[in-house]
Amino acid sequence: MDKYTLLALAIFIPLLSAFLCYTFNKPWVRNTVVFVTALIMFAVAGGFVYYLIHSGGKIEISLESLHLPFDVGFIFKLFDFLLLAYIADIGMKHKKPLIVFLSVLQAVALLVFELVGSVKEPHVVFVIDYLSLIMLLLVSVIGPMITIFATGYMKEHEHHQHLEKSRQPRFFAILFIFLSAMNALVMTNNLSWMLFFWEVTTLCSFLLISHDGNEKAVKNGLRALWINMLGGLAFVFAIIVIYNALGTLSLEELLRNRMVSAGLLPVGLGLLCFAGFTKSAQFPFQSWLLGAMVAPTPVSALLHSSTMVKAGVYLIVRIAPVFSGTTLGTMVAVAGAFTFVGASAIAISQSNGKRVLAYSTIANLGLIVCCAGIGSYVALGAAVLLMIFHAISKALLFLCVGTIELEIGSRDIEDMQGLFKKMPFTTVIAVIGMISMLLPPFGVLLTKWLALEAAVKLPLVLICIIIGSAFTLVFWSKWIGIILTLSFHAKYKMEKLPVAMSATMAVLVLAVIFTGVDISMIFNAVVAPFLTESLKGLPETVLNGTNGLWLVSESGRMVGGFSSFYFFMILFLLFLLYPYIFRSSKAELWKPPYLCGANTEEDFKGLEFNAPADTVEHVIVHNYYFAGAFGEANITPWANFIAGAIIMIMFGVVI
Amino acid sequence: MGLVKKSRIKSPWVLHYDCTSCNGCDIETLACLTPLYDVERFGIINVGNPKHADILVVTGSVNKRNERVLRNLYNQMPEPKAVVAVGACACTGGIFKDCYNVLGGVDKVLPVDVYVPGCCAKPEAIIDGIMLAASKLEEKAEALKEAKAHA
Amino acid sequence: MDIVILKDILTVAATIILAPIIGGLLTGIDRKITARMQSRSGPPILQPFYDLIKLLGKERLIVNQTQMMFALGHLFFAVAALAMFMLGQDLLMILFIMAFSSIMLIMGAMSVRSPYSKIGAQREIVQIMAYEPVLILMVVGIFLSTGSFMIRPLFSDMFSFGKPLLYDLPLVFIAFIYVLTIKLRKSPFDFSTSHHGHQELIKGITTEFSGPQLAVIELTHWYELVLFLGLITMFFARPVWIGIGIALICYFCEIVIDNISARMTWKWMLQATWIVGIGVAMTNIIWLYLK
Ligand code: SF4
Repeated sequence: MDKYTLLALAIFIPLLSAFLCYTFNKPWVRNTVVFVTALIMFAVAGGFVYYLIHSGGKIEISLESLHLPFDVGFIFKLFDFLLLAYIADIGMKHKKPLIVFLSVLQAVALLVFELVGSVKEPHVVFVIDYLSLIMLLLVSVIGPMITIFATGYMKEHEHHQHLEKSRQPRFFAILFIFLSAMNALVMTNNLSWMLFFWEVTTLCSFLLISHDGNEKAVKNGLRALWINMLGGLAFVFAIIVIYNALGTLSLEELLRNRMVSAGLLPVGLGLLCFAGFTKSAQFPFQSWLLGAMVAPTPVSALLHSSTMVKAGVYLIVRIAPVFSGTTLGTMVAVAGAFTFVGASAIAISQSNGKRVLAYSTIANLGLIVCCAGIGSYVALGAAVLLMIFHAISKALLFLCVGTIELEIGSRDIEDMQGLFKKMPFTTVIAVIGMISMLLPPFGVLLTKWLALEAAVKLPLVLICIIIGSAFTLVFWSKWIGIILTLSFHAKYKMEKLPVAMSATMAVLVLAVIFTGVDISMIFNAVVAPFLTESLKGLPETVLNGTNGLWLVSESGRMVGGFSSFYFFMILFLLFLLYPYIFRSSKAELWKPPYLCGANTEEDFKGLEFNAPADTVEHVIVHNYYFAGAFGEANITPWANFIAGAIIMIMFGVVI
Repeated sequence: MGLVKKSRIKSPWVLHYDCTSCNGCDIETLACLTPLYDVERFGIINVGNPKHADILVVTGSVNKRNERVLRNLYNQMPEPKAVVAVGACACTGGIFKDCYNVLGGVDKVLPVDVYVPGCCAKPEAIIDGIMLAASKLEEKAEALKEAKAHA
Repeated sequence: MDIVILKDILTVAATIILAPIIGGLLTGIDRKITARMQSRSGPPILQPFYDLIKLLGKERLIVNQTQMMFALGHLFFAVAALAMFMLGQDLLMILFIMAFSSIMLIMGAMSVRSPYSKIGAQREIVQIMAYEPVLILMVVGIFLSTGSFMIRPLFSDMFSFGKPLLYDLPLVFIAFIYVLTIKLRKSPFDFSTSHHGHQELIKGITTEFSGPQLAVIELTHWYELVLFLGLITMFFARPVWIGIGIALICYFCEIVIDNISARMTWKWMLQATWIVGIGVAMTNIIWLYLK
């Protein structure tokens, strides 16, 4: 298999499956298609890994070598306008002048750009380096897994909805188009092509969010659409500005510049960052991602983990080396750090599980953006690693919450008390997922640690990250505490889940654990080559992955590090001890919790107590939510205001 | 084994429960914590939580309403554990013995190990009683072990 | 290389064995001093050990099957943090491992359906939220002063005189001592659980742990105590005995504070720690930036 086949497979296999899913509305056909596609996509991802390592870390594919009988560039442009027309049509249908306006403005800008002065399209149309590879792996491994999960989930979901005609063909078709666009987006080298794929993901996310078709879904979908169209507009302007500054649309050539002086280039980069901000739902654009919660769970899992929002941070990380160390970089870092602390603070006050996850996604994306803004070796390493770990853990957590929601009919954290008894399998997996989001030795925390160590030179960013991570600890540990609550039960019965769902979760949780244990391998294999390649010639503290991660300063001195391996050993030791502890906890040792001696006679779970006048009352303990200090309604306006100001300052600085 | 035995005697943690006391005995029990008597020198701590306690100190007579609370508290204490009845009321029902709602002394409900008489019991006597109960803990632990071996 | 590893293993082993002895003795002395301050004669110095052994010998009551696992996790990660400290590892990571240890206890306390331990756990979470930023700022201050996150250099040639870390970080040190009061569960910040006597939440976070489980938690406190005194020592570690002496003095001060102050509410604590702790530490760090 050569690189052309791989490329074609990565883009066209999902498209083909989309077509198949759309035309054949039979569950067994659909399930087979989803499963086979997943296998092929895994294989393609594996093929890319193999191919990339054997071709020296970079695969380039030029237009000529494709030997296409027609002008692809022209076709892309055509599609671009069709897409904008379609979006404008959506805006028209739903009476949203803003969307129409944005799409027309985009179309006009593009048209003017194409007509005035002949645009020289870059030679090399696809470049796959290690960063693309990482994204490819995330998209083509986690994406298909979520679609497999969706086959089980959507059946249950539609069962609850009592639809006359299944809308699953449409759903799966859009999912696959989405994956195809993501794959193409991370490989392309042509900024104007990237714009096209960018807009395809925008459109797909609108279609997926409004999938259920009720009023709320459509409203939130439209919000996602206009915010992302705003980003798309920034992207178009960025293309125009960058072309005027450098005379090329090639991402590679853009990356060859180290930004030193002012001029047009910083403005273009700033606009690209702006586009990235909208797509990754940074403050003040977070509302679309929160609204996206109305969609079926697989959609949220997909939007939050490997696709959509990751496209935004991918773009920012991609161009980060260009503005590394400049004021623009610092402002991007401040914006990201602010999002991190703001979103984490609001997450404390949320009792809706999915909203907590959403805010945590926003916070983590903020941290990625922040690291990209800092742009040093360590910071970029943290950004890339966080992209990987966050994608896996977040996909897992969304699937867990979706499963829990199907079972208990609520996504409120307080309703998840004693979940362990009802669904031990899902609970254990969810807890591992949550722990992997906040505690060492798992990957997400390691990146937070790297981010802190990278941010010591920027006090403002630093204090944001520090306070943000304190907040993070609060909302996760509250949630973990709730779902782990349980009374004594002699036996636990596993819940019955569709195989597609339980298998996906099991695989993902194994992925969380293995990526955590093997962080050095991952770092050495894919992250380190990317960092050395993109930050060539900047002498500074580097990372070294042996048995963990170590920071080595320019002078070769070890200035920080952590061998996560030993700590996984401790965790395993605990797990090994658990069966023993479990067996030695016999029923006769079991006592109800202390309720001041007022436990009722029969109740051994500590749920009821004798109240005055011989009545029986229930014990109800809620978590602290600090609605006064961290309430969403209190913080959001201020946070949006400050974030808006930061973005203004960012543009003010570069202009 | 000697170490555990010694530790048991040296570290009796106390749960104090007031049944139907006139509060006289409670005042004396709490007086034990004051610098004058300072029970902490014997390792005695008033823990206020049955799950941590070794010795249940009961003052006042048992009545129909607090019987189940008393049982519940005793039940939640981990073995080995002992019960000290402090004051005439806790020993026999005292002056409340003939009240319509009173069941009698603590031994009507729980196995009492040490009776501390007096109305009110003197702090010195209470401390003595607790220490005596502490020295009985080991015996009880042995007995439990044997009972387990037989079962 | 082998000798280095052997040395490391010995250090870890010595830490695991010696730390609880030191921690237990210090706790005993703490109780004695506290008693003296209240003009009592107090328990014997070895009292904490009696308590621990007695607890180990008690019946293993359970409320659910997972409590012991959390208690052990609490212990293991505290030991790991101390071992990392002794090996001179990355200070920031030591803090995170310590946070893991605390979270384990919180999970254990929240895993039972007891209002007291649940509310205690919530308060503990608030405490973490309060002190974690200050501790991280301390690490940042140390990095700015020494250029490294590893603390091994701080303890290199620790028997000769040298400029102590305190010289650069006096305000950070004050902030650290301030949050230490929270971490050691001393008044005015002992509202998630207290060492002695009862509080409105019975024993708060440890209410439902009994017998051996409680013993494990108690043991963990001793390891933590040693780790914290070690952190104080770090500020003065040249020569090391001055550091140890000052650490002991600081511990004495904590005992005094414990005895002269009443418990505060968590809201007050959060505000005070953030404003005073973060403010003071940040001031120090900003002057280091400018230097
Ligand atoms: S024994 Fe006397 S002092 Fe004690 S409770 Fe009874 S009446 Fe009161």
